[in-house]
Amino acid sequence: MSEDRKRILGMLAEGKITAEEADLLLDSLGTPASEATPSREPMPSDDWPTGPSATGTPKFLYVKVTGKDTVDVKVPLGLLRAGLKLTSLIPPQAMDQISESMGEHGMSIDFNNLKPEDIEELIQSLREMEINVHSADGDNIRVFCA
Amino acid sequence: MNAYLPPLMIRVRVREAGARGFRLWLPIVLLWPLLLPLLVLTLIVTLLVDLALLASGARYHHYTRLVLGSLRVLAEVRGTHVDAVTEDSFVKVDIY
Repeated sequence: MSEDRKRILGMLAEGKITAEEADLLLDSLGTPASEATPSREPMPSDDWPTGPSATGTPKFLYVKVTGKDTVDVKVPLGLLRAGLKLTSLIPPQAMDQISESMGEHGMSIDFNNLKPEDIEELIQSLREMEINVHSADGDNIRVFCA
Repeated sequence: MNAYLPPLMIRVRVREAGARGFRLWLPIVLLWPLLLPLLVLTLIVTLLVDLALLASGARYHHYTRLVLGSLRVLAEVRGTHVDAVTEDSFVKVDIY
């Protein structure tokens, strides 16, 4: 807390000024520094793994962006597994429409060819996957599973 | 059974420079008991449709599994964390 703010609050406590006057004076001081800049809370990613796990089945997909801005995303791989399994249960007519629509948007993936055993193999293979992107403006993007 | 436990709570924290920001705890656990009768009804209907399709010899008769699979996807959302921190603001979303 700044000295000015302490003095104003002291004057209010001593009864030298009213609450309204104190409010006006505090407003005139502007936004306190603690409110101007959000406090840097500890990022949960501090506890996250720093790279792909060498052993075991990966549990989460991590996306970390560092640089000017920081973005941390942690997605359970179970979501990917369940989502892929769900595609095998979608009615064929709907699946054809989905594939066609995805193809129009540049994602030519035929989910009809995806079998449950392929999904498990895909998840296991993700353990070895690591994507590192270093952009020209200093941002680093890392994608891995652990 | 735990695999089908849907998200119980969503926590959202937003803060911007010069603004107060807010923290939001969304106890969506309260929503599920309200939707349970609807889910049971849906499962009964899909089960009847699947039996009818099976009896008629249709190749596709997995609507019940489709509904259960959708629930599984919803359940697997638990554990998702998204944090975006810039110089003067941050957004954090946690799904429990």
